[in-house]
Amino acid sequence: MSPRSTTPRDFVYLDNAATSLPKAVGVADAVRAALLRAGNPGRSAHVLSIRSARDLFAARERLAGFFGSADSSRFVFTENATTALNIAIKGILRPGDHVVTTSVEHNSVMRPLRRMEEGGCRITVVPAGRDGVVDAKAVLSAIRKDTRLVAVVHASNVSGAIQPVGEIVRGARRLGAFTLVDAAQTAGGLPIHLGDLPADMLAAPGHKGLLGPQGTGFLYVREGVPLAPLIEGGTGSRSEEDHQPDFYPDALESGTQNSVGLAGLAVSLSWLLRKGADNIRKKEMGLIAELIEGMERIRGVTVFGPKDTAKCVSVLSFLVEGMDPAETGRRLEKGFGILVRAGLHCSPNSHRTLGTFPEGTVRLSPGPFTTRKEIALLLRALRKISASRR
Amino acid sequence: MSRPSSEEMVLIFRGTHQVMSAEKHLKKGGVAMRLIPVPRRLTSDCGLAIRIPAGLQAKARKVLSAVKLLPKSAHRLLNQGEYETVPF
Ligand SMILES: Cc1ncc(COP(=O)(O)O)c(C=O)c1O
Repeated sequence: MSPRSTTPRDFVYLDNAATSLPKAVGVADAVRAALLRAGNPGRSAHVLSIRSARDLFAARERLAGFFGSADSSRFVFTENATTALNIAIKGILRPGDHVVTTSVEHNSVMRPLRRMEEGGCRITVVPAGRDGVVDAKAVLSAIRKDTRLVAVVHASNVSGAIQPVGEIVRGARRLGAFTLVDAAQTAGGLPIHLGDLPADMLAAPGHKGLLGPQGTGFLYVREGVPLAPLIEGGTGSRSEEDHQPDFYPDALESGTQNSVGLAGLAVSLSWLLRKGADNIRKKEMGLIAELIEGMERIRGVTVFGPKDTAKCVSVLSFLVEGMDPAETGRRLEKGFGILVRAGLHCSPNSHRTLGTFPEGTVRLSPGPFTTRKEIALLLRALRKISASRR
Repeated sequence: MSRPSSEEMVLIFRGTHQVMSAEKHLKKGGVAMRLIPVPRRLTSDCGLAIRIPAGLQAKARKVLSAVKLLPKSAHRLLNQGEYETVPF
C-alpha cells in the first residue's frame, strides 16, 4: 500500500499545519478496525473493553517513547491541542497569579489566558521581533515573584518560527515558575525529548504532525505539577468515591475516551518511531528550502518569517502583492487544486508582529508525504497567479 | 515460605492504566499472570485486576517495585470464594 493511498488524488494538500493529510500508513485501517470492535475502555472487564483499554495503553506508551519520557501515565489524552491547553492553563492558575506569554501565541492559549485575566490573573505579553521570534531574555526578565506560569508556543503556526523554548523553560524553572509549551506545530516534525526540555506541561494535537486522526491530542504533565482537573466525572476507577481520583492519567481523564481515534494514533506513532522526527524534519525542510528559494524569485510575492530552515518548522506564510490572501487561496484551489489556508490562522497577535494584520497571510504547510513535484506545481501556480495580477 | 503454586493471588491497582502497565512489566519479567474482572467483594476500583500464582509473589514484587507500580492491595483466594488481604 502506498503511503498516498488515502489522499484524494485530485488535490495538492499543503495545509498540514491545520491537520495532516494523508495520515501515516495504516491509520485509517486501524481506526476502522477499532470502531468495529470498540468496547468502553477502562469501564468493563469483558474482552472488548479490555481491547479498547489496550488501544489507549499502546498509544500512551508510544507517546512516552516518542517524547522521551519514562512514565506514560503522565500523558493525558484530550480531543485536540486546544483542550490540552485549557486543562493546563485553567488547572494551574489561581486568582491573582501572574502569567508571562508571547505575542506569537495561538488563540488556544490567548483566549483561556484572557478568561483567567477576568478571574483576577495578570498577564504580560512579551512581543516577538519582526522575524516572529521572541527573545528568551525578554521573556525571562518579565518573570516576577508572583509569576505562576510561563506559556510559550514551540513554533509559530503563522511564520513557522521556532521559539527558544529550551532557554525559556530552563530559565523559568530556575525562577520558580511553571512552564507550558504549546507544541501544536512541532510535535512530530521537530524532535522533542522531555529529558532535554524540562517543561512542566506540553500540549499537542494528535491530528497534525503526529499523523493521527482528528479527535486526538494530549497534555503531558510532569510529576509534581499541581494541576486541578478542568473536567471531573467517571474514570472507571475509585467508583465508590465522590471525589476525583488524584492519580494519573485518571485525574485528568474523565468520561469515555476516544479509543477508536487513539487506535489510529498508536499506529501513526509506531510509524513515527520507525521514521524518527529528525528524518521527517530533514525531508520537510528540504521542501521548505525549495519553497523559499522558488518564491523569493517570483516578483510580487513576499515571504514572511525566518526564511532559514534552521529556524523554522514546515510552515510558511506569504502574500501576493495587491491580492487579498483569501483570493490567492481561492485561485490556488480553483485553478490548480492546491489546498492552503488563508487569513489570520487563529493567531491575530502573530500578524501584528509580522505586520500582516488584519488581512493575514496565505499559509503553506507541507507534510511528510508532500512531494517535490507538488512543490514545483505550487511554484508554477504562484508564478501564473502573480503574473496575472493587473 | 513456598506456597503450592495452585494458590492464587489477586492484585488490585488504582486504575486501568496501572493494570495495563503492571501487565506489561510482569509479562516482560516472566511472571505468569491473567487479567480478571475485579471481584466485587474486594473493591470497586477499576474493573480489572491481575491474578498471579501466589508462589510468584516475590518475583512479581521485584518486578513491580522496580517500576514503582506496587499494587494498592493484594489478596489471597481462600476456599469458598473468600479473600484474605495479605501484605504484598
Ligand atoms: C500553535 C497552535 N496551538 C494550538 C492549536 C490548536 O490545535 P487544535 O486544533 O488541535 O485544538 C493550533 C492549531 O490549530 C496551533 O497551530
